[in-house]
Amino acid sequence: MADNEKVNILMVDDQVSKLLSYEVILGDLGENLIKATSGREALDHLLKHDIAVVLMDVSMPEIDGFEMADMIRQHPRFQKTAIIFISGVHLSDEDRIQGYRRGAVDYISVPVVPEVLRSKVSVFVDLHRKTRQLEKLNRELEERVEQRTQELRESETQFRTLANNIPQLAWMAHQDGSIFWYSQRWFDYTGIASDKFDGFAWRHVVHPDHVARVEDGLQRSWKTGELWEDTFPMRDKDGNHSWFLTRAVPIFDSQGSLVRWFGTGTDITHQITAEEKIRALNTQLEQRIAELEAIMQVLPVGIALAHDSECETITGNTALCQLLGLGPDQNISLGGRSDSPYQVFRDKKRLEMSELPVQRAAATGKNIGTTELRVRLMTGEERHVLASASPLFDENGKVRGAVGAFFDVSERKHLEDVLRERADLLDLASEAVIVRDRDGTVRYWNHGAETLYGWTRQEVLGRSLHHVLKTAFPVPFSEIEDSLDSVGTWDGNLIQETRDGQKITVASRKALNRERHVILEINRDITSRLQAEEALRQTEKLAAMGRVAGIIAHEINNPLEAITNAFFLLRDHPSLDEDARYYASLAEQELSRVSHITRQTLSFYREAKQPVRLSLSALLDDVLELQTRRIQLSQIALEKRYQSEGEMQGFPVEIRQVFLNLISNAIQAMPNGGRLRVSVRETGKYNGSVPGISVAIVDTGAGIRPEDAKHLFEPFFSTKSEKGTGLGLWISRGIVQKYEGSIRFRSVRLTNESATCFRVFIPLARAQAGARPAFAADSIVTSKVAQGSRA
Amino acid sequence: MPEPATILCVDDEQVALFLRKAVLQKFGFEVVTASSAKDALRILSTQRVDLVLSDLLMPEVSGTELAKAIKEKYSGLPVVVVSGVNEIPPEVRYADLFISKLEGPVRLCERLREVLSQSRSASSAT
Repeated sequence: MADNEKVNILMVDDQVSKLLSYEVILGDLGENLIKATSGREALDHLLKHDIAVVLMDVSMPEIDGFEMADMIRQHPRFQKTAIIFISGVHLSDEDRIQGYRRGAVDYISVPVVPEVLRSKVSVFVDLHRKTRQLEKLNRELEERVEQRTQELRESETQFRTLANNIPQLAWMAHQDGSIFWYSQRWFDYTGIASDKFDGFAWRHVVHPDHVARVEDGLQRSWKTGELWEDTFPMRDKDGNHSWFLTRAVPIFDSQGSLVRWFGTGTDITHQITAEEKIRALNTQLEQRIAELEAIMQVLPVGIALAHDSECETITGNTALCQLLGLGPDQNISLGGRSDSPYQVFRDKKRLEMSELPVQRAAATGKNIGTTELRVRLMTGEERHVLASASPLFDENGKVRGAVGAFFDVSERKHLEDVLRERADLLDLASEAVIVRDRDGTVRYWNHGAETLYGWTRQEVLGRSLHHVLKTAFPVPFSEIEDSLDSVGTWDGNLIQETRDGQKITVASRKALNRERHVILEINRDITSRLQAEEALRQTEKLAAMGRVAGIIAHEINNPLEAITNAFFLLRDHPSLDEDARYYASLAEQELSRVSHITRQTLSFYREAKQPVRLSLSALLDDVLELQTRRIQLSQIALEKRYQSEGEMQGFPVEIRQVFLNLISNAIQAMPNGGRLRVSVRETGKYNGSVPGISVAIVDTGAGIRPEDAKHLFEPFFSTKSEKGTGLGLWISRGIVQKYEGSIRFRSVRLTNESATCFRVFIPLARAQAGARPAFAADSIVTSKVAQGSRA
Repeated sequence: MPEPATILCVDDEQVALFLRKAVLQKFGFEVVTASSAKDALRILSTQRVDLVLSDLLMPEVSGTELAKAIKEKYSGLPVVVVSGVNEIPPEVRYADLFISKLEGPVRLCERLREVLSQSRSASSAT
C-alpha cells in the first residue's frame, strides 16, 4: 500500500443524519468513507474491505456498539482493528471503553466536535497506514529471508555434493566435535549405514592403537580452534586398515566465531607403502653396502677405490694393502711417486702415477683392460700383478672416481717359470715327450719329439697322436687303456712312423696324470739299439763260432798234422810197392785239401793286445795296392796327397779295415770312372779345435741321397742292396770312436757331377796313446780282414 | 855239406812227436825229443842242439813259455812254435817263428832251414 493510497473508514450509526454529518466532518481527510446503518451491514463491509478505522455509535437499537465491537474482536482478523466509539458520556460507558484499551480503541463523547473527530480518526488512519506499510516491509523482508534461505539451502546441497564427490572422506562437526555429517565416501568406506551413526562413530573406525591420541588431538583443537592434522589407520568395511591423513579445519562466521569443523581424510596407504618400501630398500642398500665392504676386505683380490676424479684419495682393501706392503690406513695414491713405498713397472718400464690403471681409468673415463704389472716393494720383493680398472660416474655422467682390481699372480708366475724351465728341460731331453688328451689329441710336443718324428710342434698340436704316427700297438689298445686306468702307467714297445715314412721302434712309457685326463708319453727311439743288439748278437754268434772254430781247429788240426806227416812218410816208404805208394800219395793230396779247408773256414784271428806304431800313409798305400786292380778296372784316376806320414799308435788291422771300407765304398760309387783322392794331413790347434790327424777320401761318384744321409752309420743300412753287409761304416765308426775320433762326411750333388768326402779324424793325444784299452779287448774282426792284414 | 843240424822236438802227444821226428829225420835233421817243456830244458842243459821245435799247447808249460825260458838262458838258440790253433798267442814274440801245423811237412822243413840259416849267419857274424 502506497503512502498516498486511500484507506477505508467505516462509519456505523442507525441514524442516517448522523452518518451524513460524520461524512461532512471527515470528508476533508480525503479517505474512503463507508457507511453502515446496522451491525450486520458493518460486518459485511469489514469482511469485504480492509478497514483502517471503525467509527461506531454506541447506542444503536439492534446491537449496541460494545456488542458490535465484541463480535468484531472475536474475529482474529479484526482483533487489532482500530475502533472509535461515539457516545454520550456515562461512567459505565467509560469503564467499558476502558476495557477495550488494550486494543486500538478510542472514544468521542457527544456532541461531536468535528476537529476532535477528525484528528482522532486521522490518528488511526495514520496508524493503519503505518501498520500497513510495516506489514508490507515485513512481508518483503520475509520474502527476502525466504529467498536467502533457499539460496543457502542450494549452496549447502552443492557443498555436500562437492564434499561427497572429492576423493577424500569428508565430515562436518559441531563446535563440540560431534560429527553431524559424513560424506557418502565415508559410509562407503566404513560400511556403516548412513542412518546408523552417531557423532562419535569414528571411534569405532580409527585403529584402536590410535584412538586415544586422535581424541586428545581433536579435543585440543575443539578448545583452541586450531587446525588439526594426524595420520592413522582406519578400518574399512572388510576390516582392513588403510592409512589416512586426516585434517579438521575450523569454519568461522562473519563475526569470527567458530561455527563448525570441516574434516577430510586422505588415503595415504600407497604413500605409506611407498615410504615403507623406500625405507626397506634403503635398509637393504645399507646392508648390501656393508656386505660389499666386508667382501672387499676378505676378498683375496686387491681392490682400490679412488674417491675423486683426480685420484687424490685412494683406499684399498686388506688384500691390496698386503699386496703393496702398506698399512691399512695409508693412501694408496702414492703409487707413482719416487718416494712411494712401492714402485710399479710394466715390462721393464717404471710407471708414473698417471700411468697406473686406476688413474688412467679416472682420467680417460674408460675401462682399462687387464695388464700385467710388476710391483717392487721397499723390501726389494717383487710381485706380479694382473690389474684392471673401471671409472665410476656420478648421476650426471661425470667421472667421480675409479675402482681397480689387482690380482697377485706371483705364485702362478713362479709356477709358470718353473713349468717353463721344466718344459725347457723337457726340450733338452732327447726322448720324445708328448702330452695328449685321453682321446689322443696332442697337447705338448717337445724338441725331442720333433727330432725323433720329424714333425714340428705346430704341425701336431691338436692332432690325433696315433693317427699322425701310425702307431702299431703290440697289444690291443684297450689293454693299454686298462693298464692306464688301473695302475696309471703302461710300458712297452711301439712301432711308429716318422714324417718321412720310416718305421721306428720306440720304448714307450705312458702315464696318466693325477686328474686322469691327460696322458704323458715318453718315447725313446730304440731302433738303433735293437739293430745294434741284433748286430751284437751277430757278432757274438761270430765270436762263439770263433771259439768253436778254435776248439775244432785244435782238435782237428793236431790229428790232421799227424796223419799228414804219416802219409808223407808213407808215400816214399821203400817197403811199399808202386800201387801202395800211389794210394798213399792220393791220401796225402786229399789230406792237403782237408787242411786247406780247415785253414779257410776254421781259422779265426785274434790280434795282439798291444797297439803298435803305424804310419797311416803307409797303411793307405797297402790298402790302395790291394785295390789297384779294381781301380784300374773302373777307370778311376787316383790322387794321393800325403802331407804327413800320419804316424800313430794303433792296431793296424782295425785301422786298415776302416780305410779298406771307405776306399772300397768310394770305388764302388764310381763304377763308370771318376776321380779318387786320398789325403793325409796333421791339423794344428786352431780355432779351439783339437789337433790331430785327418784323412780324407774324396770320390766323384753317385753321391749320397739326403734321405740316406742320417742312416749312413746305422748298422745293416746299405745303399748297395745285396752287395753290402750294411756293417762297414757302422764298424768303422765304432773303431774310430775307440780312438775318440770321428768320421764325418759331406756330399755335394750337382746335375752332372757330385763329390763325396769322408773325413776320418784322430785326435793327436789319442793317436799317441792308442785306442782305449777297454775296447781293444773286444776287438773281434772277421777272417776277411785277417787275410787283408797278411797281404 | 855241413853237419846235419840237431833239432829238439817237444810235444806232449807221443804219436805226433814220433811222426814229426820221422819227418824231420827224413829231411836229414838229427832229432832229439822231449815230451814236456821241463824235459826239454833238462835235455838242453846236457846236450847241444841247433833249434827247438815246440808244440804250443801243452800241459803245465806252453810252447811260448818254453820259448821265453830258453831265450833267457840260451839267447842265441832259435825256437819255433807250431800250433794247431791258428791264433797268434800274446807271447809269440819270444819265438823266432810261429807256424801252423797245417803248413805241411815240406813247408815246415823249409821254414826251419830258413831259421837255421839266419841263426847261423847271426852267430857267425858275432
